[in-house]
Amino acid sequence: MDDGTLPGDPRTPGRTGRNPGGREIPRSIRWRLFLRSLSIQGSWNYRTLLGTGAAFVLLPLLRWLHGGEGDALDEAVGRHAGLFNAHPYLAGIALGAVARMEAQGAPPEMVERFKAAVRGPLGSLGDRLVWAGWLPACLLAALVSWFLGAPYWVVVTGFVVVYNGGHFALRIWGFRVGLREGRGVGERLRDTALPRIGDVLGRVCVLLAGILVPLLVARGPALDGPGAGVPLPWIVAAVVAGAAGLWRGERVKSGAVTAVVVAAVGFLMIGWIE
Amino acid sequence: MLEAAGGVEALLLLSVLGGLLGLDQTSVGQTMVSRPLVAATLAGAVLGEPATGTAVGVVLELFHLVVLPVGGARFPEPGPAACGGAAAAVALPGPEGLAAGVALGLVWAHLGGATVTLLRTWNGRMVPDPTADRVTAAAVRGSHWGAISVDFVRGAALAGTGAAVGLLVVPAWIGGWPLDARATAGLLATAVAFPVGAFLRMFGGWRRHRWFVAGGAAVGLVLVAVA
Repeated sequence: MDDGTLPGDPRTPGRTGRNPGGREIPRSIRWRLFLRSLSIQGSWNYRTLLGTGAAFVLLPLLRWLHGGEGDALDEAVGRHAGLFNAHPYLAGIALGAVARMEAQGAPPEMVERFKAAVRGPLGSLGDRLVWAGWLPACLLAALVSWFLGAPYWVVVTGFVVVYNGGHFALRIWGFRVGLREGRGVGERLRDTALPRIGDVLGRVCVLLAGILVPLLVARGPALDGPGAGVPLPWIVAAVVAGAAGLWRGERVKSGAVTAVVVAAVGFLMIGWIE
Repeated sequence: MLEAAGGVEALLLLSVLGGLLGLDQTSVGQTMVSRPLVAATLAGAVLGEPATGTAVGVVLELFHLVVLPVGGARFPEPGPAACGGAAAAVALPGPEGLAAGVALGLVWAHLGGATVTLLRTWNGRMVPDPTADRVTAAAVRGSHWGAISVDFVRGAALAGTGAAVGLLVVPAWIGGWPLDARATAGLLATAVAFPVGAFLRMFGGWRRHRWFVAGGAAVGLVLVAVA
């Protein structure tokens, strides 16, 4: 019966499960889960995706729950080594919730249904928020600052510090929310501002890219910093190339772009084009 | 050229750096020090010219803005590749160094992407089969750590070979460079303008965000004039 409570849930006195009353996960275990989550993609593969990584992350908890190495541990590990996927920065939401569910003795089927339900939303949310939002926004800000003449160490350090400030804030928040909310984390996610933040970051990216384009076209890159100015014919060529990318860029594979660039550079080096 | 850049020790350091960058790309951390902007700077620092590395990294970054590491997508891997690009730029004085470094970085990034695909296929064979009767904790631990170790070696090999090509092969191959610094900057600006345009299209481009694009461009023009 699925009435929203779990065996051992203090809201339903008298019901018992594998861990009556649930167990408070020790702080040391929680730390180990979080640190291991940084390597959840270590064994990424086309068959189980993050499955093996998720099982690896949960190992300290499962070992604690099942009294060390043995058949009970292996059975629990086997349940978690199946297909699973999520954005790496948001996987902690799912794993934190799973950890809480396991500690409360949730039936395995319930845990599996939960994992299957969250992996899609966590993946798409993370892609929009991070890969298409926070990451390009931070990169574009760094690139704009370089083209404005900022010292290289300011550009690089600024990017690493600012980006990872947001990165780790998201990971820590997600893990804590998952641990706290358990199975109810889905409802909590619906109330967050993360999707709206993703939309705002998208607009920031477009704004920064707009700022970057004149700097790139007018100054161009040089070995010791932004160039002293690009000759007019090349400015025209860059504007045309940019417009072509805006118009048809998504249809051209990056390999084709690489081939054209390498061919041009190669011919120039060998001296075939003057 | 190898001795001038720091000798075999530099190559070994770049290989280790490449291994760490390869891990950061996907397996461990994903702190984005594996982005070409940072990776090339670090490689340049190993070779004594961090600013040169940053210049290579800036251009490679512009090429890879459109590359999103989404799920099982196959994409170039610019992090370890940036080590080779930085090495070529350090080895060749003048604007040809930047062009050669970018070209080498692009080629090696695609090579890196191919090795990532191979690694993920290999991982699929090594991890425990979840449908098997028994999946042991030891098997999960071993396969996970094994995959991480192989990824490190992969990144190290990629960076090491790229750096060797950049330091030894590219300078020997170059016959001349007909463009001055400004024209080279123009060539590279033209080359990256296409992927930058594609990047804008990814967000809906002109139609969806015309005011942001126009506003940003206006700010950029002002900055070109005054900064």
